[in-house]
Amino acid sequence: MAEKPQPVQVLYCGVCGLPAEYCEFGPDFEKCKPWLIQNAPDLYPDLLKGAGAGDADKVSDQLQSTSISSDAGSSKPKEEVKRLPGGKIKKKEKQEVIIEKVTRNKRKCITTVKGLDLFGIKLNDASKKLGKKFATGASVVKGPTEKEQIDVQGDIAYDIVEFITDTWPDVPESAIFFIEDGKKVSAS
Amino acid sequence: MFKKFSSEEVSAQNQVKASVQRKIRQSIAEEYPGLEPVLEDLLPKKSPLIVAKCPNHLNLVLVNNVPLFFNIRDGPYMPTLRLLHQYPNIMKKLQVDRGAIKFVLAGANIMCPGLTSPGGALDDEVEAETPVAIMAEGKQHALAIGFTKMSAKDIRTINKGIGVDNMHYLNDGLWKMERLE
Ligand SMILES: [Zn+2]
Repeated sequence: MAEKPQPVQVLYCGVCGLPAEYCEFGPDFEKCKPWLIQNAPDLYPDLLKGAGAGDADKVSDQLQSTSISSDAGSSKPKEEVKRLPGGKIKKKEKQEVIIEKVTRNKRKCITTVKGLDLFGIKLNDASKKLGKKFATGASVVKGPTEKEQIDVQGDIAYDIVEFITDTWPDVPESAIFFIEDGKKVSAS
Repeated sequence: MFKKFSSEEVSAQNQVKASVQRKIRQSIAEEYPGLEPVLEDLLPKKSPLIVAKCPNHLNLVLVNNVPLFFNIRDGPYMPTLRLLHQYPNIMKKLQVDRGAIKFVLAGANIMCPGLTSPGGALDDEVEAETPVAIMAEGKQHALAIGFTKMSAKDIRTINKGIGVDNMHYLNDGLWKMERLE
């Protein structure tokens, strides 16, 4: 504690003045690009790839799809997600419900449920039912790929399968999967 | 708060009395114990401390014309982003997901879901009414200084509405004011 911390040197963009990593969100990413290629090639590797002068949206979309979320990072199912020009996601995934326990800190965890919507189930409605059944908080949240999922407070992973198949007979047990230690395990 | 801020908003700049200077220094030292070893470099006892009064009860603390801290009324002092970037560990951190970045940089307050989604992160020790650094998914440096409206635990469970007020963000008026002459 007594040691003197050295000030961190932040690389600020020579064009817009923001930390270089935020140029993509800055007032004019296009203008920053030549400076970034010169001074911060590691931050925006896509700029170096040939079409560097292309449009900013394209580049930021690429960045988006390569950015890894810190929390559930390792365990996301690899699905083919194609981005349409409007930023919408083209769904190509199978009808599956994916259940994952995410530890938020040492003792607390939430159980995330993804994919109920693919069976035509309203997520708001499902979230209410889950919250009621397990007497806990449940909410619909946007997942990392902009897909909605339900977060349920607490570890309910093992009772939830029966509840889902009882409540929504359209969802077969064979379509429900757990993510355990980064592996996808069938619930049936 | 600093969305349309410029030097024209500063109504008075005064060198404060030694006793006031001591008090400001002490509050900052208490709020940011991590700064203690460099406090003498940042706010030298011998250099004059300037407090600039701005509208909405906002005060800026300057040394050698550089804004270092700000506060509202008698509220806690918060570092400017340029200062925080140099000493990133002096504040507790909350992280927004990538989707929230552009809203934060437009000055929007921080909504709970942007902090509770998988790209976000919460430090459970953060209480309500606390200055925090706002970090972003995939980014190394802070993009805003926030003041929590609810505790991190409430942000997680309520998960609705504004969780953190956006006090100061990259490219706002205070960010652009590197020096105040
Ligand atoms: Zn830039």
